[in-house]
Amino acid sequence: MEQKYAVTVDDLTVAYNYKPVLWDIDLMIPESVLMCIVGPNGAGKSTLIKAILGIIKPIAGTVSIFGKPYEKQRSLVAYVPQKGSVDWDFPTTALDVVMMGTYGSLGWIKRPGQKEKKASLEALEKVGMLPFKNRQISQLSGGQQQRIFLARALVQNAAIYFMDEPFQGVDATTEKAIINILKELRKAGKTVIVVHHDLQTVPEYFDWVTFLNVKKIATGPVKDIFNDDNLTKTYGINYKVSVQE
Amino acid sequence: MNSAQIIIQIIVALVAVACAIPGTFLVLRKMSLISDAISHSILLGIVIGFFIVEDTSSPLLIVLAALAGVVTVILVEFIQKTGLVKADTAIGLVFPALFSIGVILISKNANDVHLDIDSVMVGDLSLAPFDPLLINCTEGIADSCINLGPKAIWVIGIILIITLVLLFMFFKELKVSTFDPGLAAALGFSPIIMHYGLMTVSSVTIVGAFDAVGPILVVALMIAPAATAYLFTKDLKKMLLLSCFFGVFAAISGYWLAHLLDASISGSMTTVLAILFLLVYEPIITSILVSLAIGTGTIFYQYYEYLVANEIGFEQLLLGEKIKTVFTQFVTLDYIYILVIAAILSALLMYILPKRGVIFGYYKVRQQKTEIMLLVFLLHIRNHSEESERHVKHLNEHINWQRIRSKSIVELALKNNMITVEDKIISLTTKGEEFTEKAIDYIITNKDTEIEEMKDDFFLFRG
Repeated sequence: MEQKYAVTVDDLTVAYNYKPVLWDIDLMIPESVLMCIVGPNGAGKSTLIKAILGIIKPIAGTVSIFGKPYEKQRSLVAYVPQKGSVDWDFPTTALDVVMMGTYGSLGWIKRPGQKEKKASLEALEKVGMLPFKNRQISQLSGGQQQRIFLARALVQNAAIYFMDEPFQGVDATTEKAIINILKELRKAGKTVIVVHHDLQTVPEYFDWVTFLNVKKIATGPVKDIFNDDNLTKTYGINYKVSVQE
Repeated sequence: MNSAQIIIQIIVALVAVACAIPGTFLVLRKMSLISDAISHSILLGIVIGFFIVEDTSSPLLIVLAALAGVVTVILVEFIQKTGLVKADTAIGLVFPALFSIGVILISKNANDVHLDIDSVMVGDLSLAPFDPLLINCTEGIADSCINLGPKAIWVIGIILIITLVLLFMFFKELKVSTFDPGLAAALGFSPIIMHYGLMTVSSVTIVGAFDAVGPILVVALMIAPAATAYLFTKDLKKMLLLSCFFGVFAAISGYWLAHLLDASISGSMTTVLAILFLLVYEPIITSILVSLAIGTGTIFYQYYEYLVANEIGFEQLLLGEKIKTVFTQFVTLDYIYILVIAAILSALLMYILPKRGVIFGYYKVRQQKTEIMLLVFLLHIRNHSEESERHVKHLNEHINWQRIRSKSIVELALKNNMITVEDKIISLTTKGEEFTEKAIDYIITNKDTEIEEMKDDFFLFRG
């Protein structure tokens, strides 16, 4: 039987002001992997996620989620943007931010009710943030804000999770807590795609990797393709990683 | 209060609420200045509409004006997207251009009609009660119309109802697209639709408020209530309610201030808004200054009346004499009362308002400084078992503090039962030990904010 792919990207090209940011990307992400996208600054990692989710319009190419266009599959996908992309002084509470994750399944106009609140509280508990549910979001630390974002994705109860640098500016404890939750998601058969920066932790955290630098360099299981050759091709300099045994 | 006064107050209150709602979202989206741009550009729409239908009361004017507002936003974003200039520059480029075309069109073609720059700039409400909405008129027959009451109430009332309905329907969409446009887009709530929806509502509202307050002050009605509410609360719904409340409060009290001073209504409303913002931002200083201003104003007013009553020309008095008369005759108990009221008001504001402003800042910094010194002192005691280090007399040398400071710190520690002094030797109590240990823990684990919360559990008296 043919392997089922969670995400299929075909000839995707994205350009900002005539300058291509992503060039002819072909990518097949199998179901139930924990994958990271690595590449240097400006490689188009965030842009790739945004283009898959239709936030940025590509100038060429197609994307499908479980074989159908994203617009038809929104309910299967959760998205965690970069923490710095929102204003944390916005007048709202932690619980309210998590509730935003339920808006997608509600659709237009309908308001969240008790069911959505209960699901949000459970998601907050999962990331260990229940005691902070009524805290104003500007009063949370960077790591706590990231956990709130994770809880907001969890409450969507999706099949595929896209996360843009979830480890940015969090301490080691939070990083471990987040990766454990991501590993649990994969165990439950979900697909998790993470933009990641710290090459040292790739073999420990992820089982699938995509090297990206405007073009796709390589994609596959970490144990097969996470090597100096691909790193050099991606980062342009001789790279040596010490893969932990 | 006569009926015209009531009608004007109803109009300003409706305008205030209609402005406060989109204004809140503009403030949160950091787009306050867009309202300024829209409010100027709509002039072009109004003028063009007037040239088409030659009637200032046609609904086409409102439609075209709102359209001009949306076009402004589109142009601003277009220029911004070229990447050659930043958003604020783009705003500064677009609206003066559109506005000036409107001004040229008025001065060139409309000199003989009622579209004068003055009333266009600051609005004119005084005649609003006498401009009724007439329907079912039969041509040629006088008084055949049905009078539905002042037109301004109808216009702004309908705009407000539409705004409220949209707000209730799309509150969650507005919230998520304002807070996190990326997520909103991924969830399928087009942030672009929300953006232009908000811009359209803002444009229509500004057009509706245009007659009442003019293009310059309508910005104040949109932004100031929301900015004040933002200082007050960290909850979006409360922020919306509060900004409506502040808007209405400023509108009504501004109306009466204008009545009192016999001055422009829109100018007075804006002044009240500015004072309101300052009051929340810097409660003590503002309440004192406002009271002083009112007090001094009262004195000079009495003085002025005295001069008029005695038929004394102002220029007849020498400067010294003026001051002497003012002080001996008019600085009376009234002035003292006003100062007392200012003090009470300040105390009240200190209690109800969020703790901020220069005085609070100073107080807070001093308190924290004292408390961190207390912690340093407790740490020193804890780290030294030898008595020589814990002798009251030696403290100054060891921690290198001045005597007065050491004394106040030791007293603070004693008051809070954190130390005991026996034979001039200081030792920590169990409570002192516990406090110090917890504080170090928090410092090491980088949870400084927890220390502030912990202080509430330990301190009987703050620093």
